[in-house]
Amino acid sequence: MLTVNNLTKSFQSEGGTVHALSDVSFQVQTGEFASIIGKSGSGKSTLLSMLGALDIPTSGEILVDDQDIAKLSGSQQTTYRARKIGFVFQHYNLIPNLNAKENVMLALEYGGMPARSRKERAEELLDAVGIESDQQLRRPTRLSGGQQQRVSIARALANRPAFILADEPTGNLDSETGKKIFDLLHNLSRTQNTTIIAVTHDLDIAGKTDRTFTLRDGRMIARKK
Amino acid sequence: MNVVTRGIRSALRSPLRSGAIIAMLAISTGLILAMLVARSSVNAKIEEVKASVATQVTINPAGVQGGMGGGDPLTADQVAKIKNTAHVSSVAATLTDQLTGNDNTSLNPSLDPPKIHIMGPSGESTQQPEQKAPVITTGTTTPSSTVTEDKLTSGVMIDGTGTERVAIVGKKLAEKNNLSVGSTFTLYGETFTVKGIFSTDNRFQDSSLIVPLATLQEVSDQSGEVSTVTATIDNSDNVASTVTALKEALGDKADVTSQEEQAETTLAPLTSIADLALGGVIAATIAGAVIVLLAMVMVVRERRREIGVIKAIGGTNRSIVTQFITEGLTLTIIGGIVGLGIGIATSGPLTQSLVSNQSTNSSQTGNTQGLVRGTGGSPGGMMRMGGPGAVTNQISANLTSVTSSVTPQTFAISSAIVILIAIIGSAVPAWTIARIRPAEVLRTE
Repeated sequence: MLTVNNLTKSFQSEGGTVHALSDVSFQVQTGEFASIIGKSGSGKSTLLSMLGALDIPTSGEILVDDQDIAKLSGSQQTTYRARKIGFVFQHYNLIPNLNAKENVMLALEYGGMPARSRKERAEELLDAVGIESDQQLRRPTRLSGGQQQRVSIARALANRPAFILADEPTGNLDSETGKKIFDLLHNLSRTQNTTIIAVTHDLDIAGKTDRTFTLRDGRMIARKK
Repeated sequence: MNVVTRGIRSALRSPLRSGAIIAMLAISTGLILAMLVARSSVNAKIEEVKASVATQVTINPAGVQGGMGGGDPLTADQVAKIKNTAHVSSVAATLTDQLTGNDNTSLNPSLDPPKIHIMGPSGESTQQPEQKAPVITTGTTTPSSTVTEDKLTSGVMIDGTGTERVAIVGKKLAEKNNLSVGSTFTLYGETFTVKGIFSTDNRFQDSSLIVPLATLQEVSDQSGEVSTVTATIDNSDNVASTVTALKEALGDKADVTSQEEQAETTLAPLTSIADLALGGVIAATIAGAVIVLLAMVMVVRERRREIGVIKAIGGTNRSIVTQFITEGLTLTIIGGIVGLGIGIATSGPLTQSLVSNQSTNSSQTGNTQGLVRGTGGSPGGMMRMGGPGAVTNQISANLTSVTSSVTPQTFAISSAIVILIAIIGSAVPAWTIARIRPAEVLRTE
């Protein structure tokens, strides 16, 4: 279970202190598919960075299975990212000189899986997200946007994470492909009991998730189930 | 695929850019090796020359003024004293004579006659009537110490200890008088046979001839007289004490000097080449490190997002830094291997070019000095060709024969410098990588 209590993130800028997040609190149950919506600059991506231990909050706590990740050391945060979190980005962010299978194997390497098991596990994951065996050996530039996002999802699932954090996962795809990717994520949360938190602009997609949180100017203004 | 394999693959991700970096590094590494080879070869030559003259002591008549002559020649008694001095293992004696038309010789000088100007009290210059240039004749017990055997273009070396009427003749003098091996000429009314023709880079030496010492003493009526004695000491540790003993034995009649001191001056051009080569090594090392540094800074800046993503999916700073250092090392090692090949191919010609340029400059200076000596004439009637000047000439001639070769030591030093370049060049990018925060990089999503 994920519990966020009174999370605040402030930055110092030339014009004074900017509160990217102010006193945000919410809870997501294991296996839920939650969405976060809000306008640009509302603090969605900042919140996602905090949840993924990519950034440190100014105050508040983020409890994952009763452990406050805001208090982890640098190396503990790295381990947390490698084993507990899977990221899915709007622009896929696959490593350009590695093929699809190698991109997934890279995440497995950081997750501590022995070298001899990585190839088989990567193939299994890519098969599961619908990447055929000949496509698994292609570099990202030779895959379509939808295929790249599928590889990105396979990479996020590599180490059987507790959470998948998706930042606009369909934002760069056409509506049909976007729907397929959403269905894939939705299916994963159901079959693998993986908690998914997705930031999105798409209200149709948000409406299909188990829970929706709305942010405005860094504050949580609505929770819908 | 492990981190090292990924680093190697990433290094070759952009063939054009990698090729350009490798080419620049190869030139830099090639220069490092070539300069190291030049330096070690020149230093080896300096040591060799020093070692060869370290045990030699030159004894000249007191009062000799450079090439102007002067002073009373050394006598047979003085030569005997030198021979009998403790630690003197061998003695080479030389007598130099200038032949003019009055010396009953058939030889015509090959040097232009000297032009002598006399400055008047008010600064005006008056040219004196033209005089015939002398033919320099050297009588020596060791002809090979004046002209090495490899300078003979035809014929054979003569025996300096005999009294035969034989000579080896400089190329210019031989051409002027149509002499070849087997030809004869007249000297002090005696008929001499040409046994060999020699050619050096020195036109004064090529306009002279060499005969056995006793022969010259006999025909020129200078029995027992010598102008220079070169004594070889049995051990370099005994040189200082032997110089002292010789000075005591000969008193104020002779000047005794160690040739090591003369060698230091003559070797100055080589020493400056060694310094220049060291400067080249340092400059090429800095250039190489800067190339790797800039290349890696550029690579890291370009791939900030990729670094951020790797950190986001669990990559540690250590693994990312290792990957980028591997990239830097891969480029440096490939550049280094190509560069070492370039260095091996170019070190020989480069060393020869440096040495010959420096020697040309030196010999031009030397020739000018020689001209001054020639035009100045020799009122005393005795010039030194077998003395310190000959030693200097011999060393100078030796300098051009620097043999350059890539030794395991220079190769190892070059390789170590290449690794050093990679480490220096990768250190700053590694520091930058460690400071990249994935949240900032991914915020641009």
